[in-house]
Amino acid sequence: MLYRIAGQFKTNYRADHALFPVRQDAVLLAVILICALVVFPLTASEFTFQALLIPVLIYSLAALGLNILTGYAGQLSLGTGAFMGVGAYACYKLITIFPEMNLLVAIGLSGFFSAAVGMAFGLPSLRIKGFYLAIATLAAQFFLVWLFEKWAWLYNYNASGAIQVPTIDMFGIRVAGPTASSIVQYYFVLLVVGLMTFFAINITRGHIGRSWKAVRDMDIAAELVGINLLRSKLIAFGVSSYIVGVSGALFVFMWRGAAEPNLFDIPLSFRVLFIAIIGGLGSVMGNYLGAILIVALPVVLNIVPEALGLDINAATLEHLNIMIIGALIVTVLIVEPHGLARFWAIIREKLIIWPFPH
Amino acid sequence: MKTFVKTAMLGAALGVGAVLAAPAAYAQDSVYAPNLSYRTGPFAATGIPLMDGQRDYILMLNERDGGVNGVKIDYDECETGYSTEKGVECYEKTKSKAIVTQPWSTGITLQVLPKTNVDKIPILAPGYGFSPMANGKVFQWAYNPPASYWDGASMLLNYVSGGDMASLKGKKIALLHLDHPYGKEPIPLFQAMAEKHGFTFLPVPVGLKEMQNQSAQWLQIRREKPDFVFMWGWGAMNAGALTEAVKTKYPMDQFIGIWWSGHDGDMKTVGEKGKGYKSISWSVPVADAPVMADIKKHVVDAGKSLIGGADDMDTVFYQRGVLISMILVEGIRVAQDHFDTKVVNAEQLRWGLENLKIDDARIAELGMTGMVGPFSTSCSNHTGHSGAWILQWDGGKFAPISDKLTADAEAISALEQVKAMEYAEANAPWPVNEACK
Repeated sequence: MLYRIAGQFKTNYRADHALFPVRQDAVLLAVILICALVVFPLTASEFTFQALLIPVLIYSLAALGLNILTGYAGQLSLGTGAFMGVGAYACYKLITIFPEMNLLVAIGLSGFFSAAVGMAFGLPSLRIKGFYLAIATLAAQFFLVWLFEKWAWLYNYNASGAIQVPTIDMFGIRVAGPTASSIVQYYFVLLVVGLMTFFAINITRGHIGRSWKAVRDMDIAAELVGINLLRSKLIAFGVSSYIVGVSGALFVFMWRGAAEPNLFDIPLSFRVLFIAIIGGLGSVMGNYLGAILIVALPVVLNIVPEALGLDINAATLEHLNIMIIGALIVTVLIVEPHGLARFWAIIREKLIIWPFPH
Repeated sequence: MKTFVKTAMLGAALGVGAVLAAPAAYAQDSVYAPNLSYRTGPFAATGIPLMDGQRDYILMLNERDGGVNGVKIDYDECETGYSTEKGVECYEKTKSKAIVTQPWSTGITLQVLPKTNVDKIPILAPGYGFSPMANGKVFQWAYNPPASYWDGASMLLNYVSGGDMASLKGKKIALLHLDHPYGKEPIPLFQAMAEKHGFTFLPVPVGLKEMQNQSAQWLQIRREKPDFVFMWGWGAMNAGALTEAVKTKYPMDQFIGIWWSGHDGDMKTVGEKGKGYKSISWSVPVADAPVMADIKKHVVDAGKSLIGGADDMDTVFYQRGVLISMILVEGIRVAQDHFDTKVVNAEQLRWGLENLKIDDARIAELGMTGMVGPFSTSCSNHTGHSGAWILQWDGGKFAPISDKLTADAEAISALEQVKAMEYAEANAPWPVNEACK
């Protein structure tokens, strides 16, 4: 009833290939956008911005980058955390070398460093496949984190070995540093994440995205129909690492404010990989759903007992939290191995035929 | 249909989160002092006794005296698991009503340090954090009494040189440290001292992943044959280092750790073989201190404590936790007297922490004679530089073997000034309190 598609006729090819051929999808997106642009910023507290909204957006972007490589092009990567680190360190160096540079430009440029590194580590992907490629990206993970620790130039010879975000103004508004307000940072992140998502949706729908899917489904067949495997895989590594690098720069500059090398270690890579897998490989929306489950849900679970007036020991609460999230992940993967995006697709199908299923 | 229910529940949970923004109401006759604890995760073994000590001292005060001057202290824990990300989440969660932030890790301290100027909440990081925080002109909201890592480093050098720094000339000193902001903290001071007094300084970093397998590091130590090995270790790294030191037969009496590397629990895994290992400490466990008897009576025997048994009360870390809470409570008390108010706010507590006067008489009044050295803070000195003792492991417990050591204040404050200004410049615009001498 809510999702009735009867009566929505397409009279030309353009309408048939629109991003949202069903009107309700467009309405839903509009509602989400209004929430993100108006409702959340007006109602959210400092805590909601810093612990829920901003991290969910940034992790979604990182998962989106990984999803392009793993979900669309089928190349499993375990180096996401390190590529995020490349973006963050590149942005830090750019900002400290050219303090007058616009932060948006610096974040955009830092993605290219990460893309270059990603493509370099993606070169072996023509020869090694599957789990073996995962091991090669694992090497990138170890090497890059080691480099962040040992190459003191990267953190400007800071005694603690950490990078710290300076105060940055953009068009007279403070966007980064301790005195920046959360609402500005939220809009900044939302803008970048929105742009990247738009770009990602379009690239995955175009001929490049099709060539990725062909390579993912069967690379020999793809080669036989004339797809240049190396080119296609390298573009996937480049685009994916670019997005991941941008998310890394946002991660440090718009959220954390400071970062030490081991922040970009394997746990971060796994976290992003889990978001992508649980959200749904080969989907754009899944990254957002996955990030909500993995990043926001633990935070929410942490405040529920207090809000209900239950007095639970902090450590017990943490243990409970880990157990609940773990159980949820297992349940989701058993009930729907294709992730939350597929989950939503099924719900949508059912809504379309509801209340008169055949 | 099952799927519907699940999604609905998920959505509801998220909705609740967005609404929960407003802080819950709290009683007016208490002050809220949260602690960013870590009773879970890789460092839990070292965290638990410290948190227990902190918690039990405040519970004891609430039981025995009804709080401080009649105001109960609402002690609360927010679990971080020593993760910086969770730490910041906890900081954001508690900051609306908290009068203090106890970050409990150098990483979290570095992260929340720039925010305190904006949020106006004092950071209390006793014996850890960023050493230049001692400079109160630059770090108006941060406190690390009674001794900073640089104090610790300087006292270690004083101890091994027997008070005569010139005797270190030509010697070689290795620093086995965790490759993390915490472990790197003393390096600038060691480098400055090495240059000044002509000894060779050799940092040996231990990565977070190598904590339990330090064979490479100890191979390097065996090759280099340093005269002394200092250790800035934490959690599993301490036990790992001790096991390797025993294996490589490095003389135990030349091996000294910082105060966080002197944990009874770590030593028990090495037992007798670790005999002779030393650790510098600004706190000394005193089993028969009156304050410990009160805690035992009001908290432990009443079954309100989280510790395993009364034996655990004599450990170095538990008693240090008690002292840490004492510093916080004294800050509250000083602020109450000065502002003539019962319920202090964060800004008043800042003044209190800046005007601590913990002399021998006060320590005796608190029932803590011998547990900590006297110290006082001021507007420009946020550390107090109390001094420390060398504790030695006798196979069953830690016992003090030295007189109280003091740090080379001159060398430290010069370096503090330089590094604090560097920090302020890197984070410009950074407010500096020029009024303070």
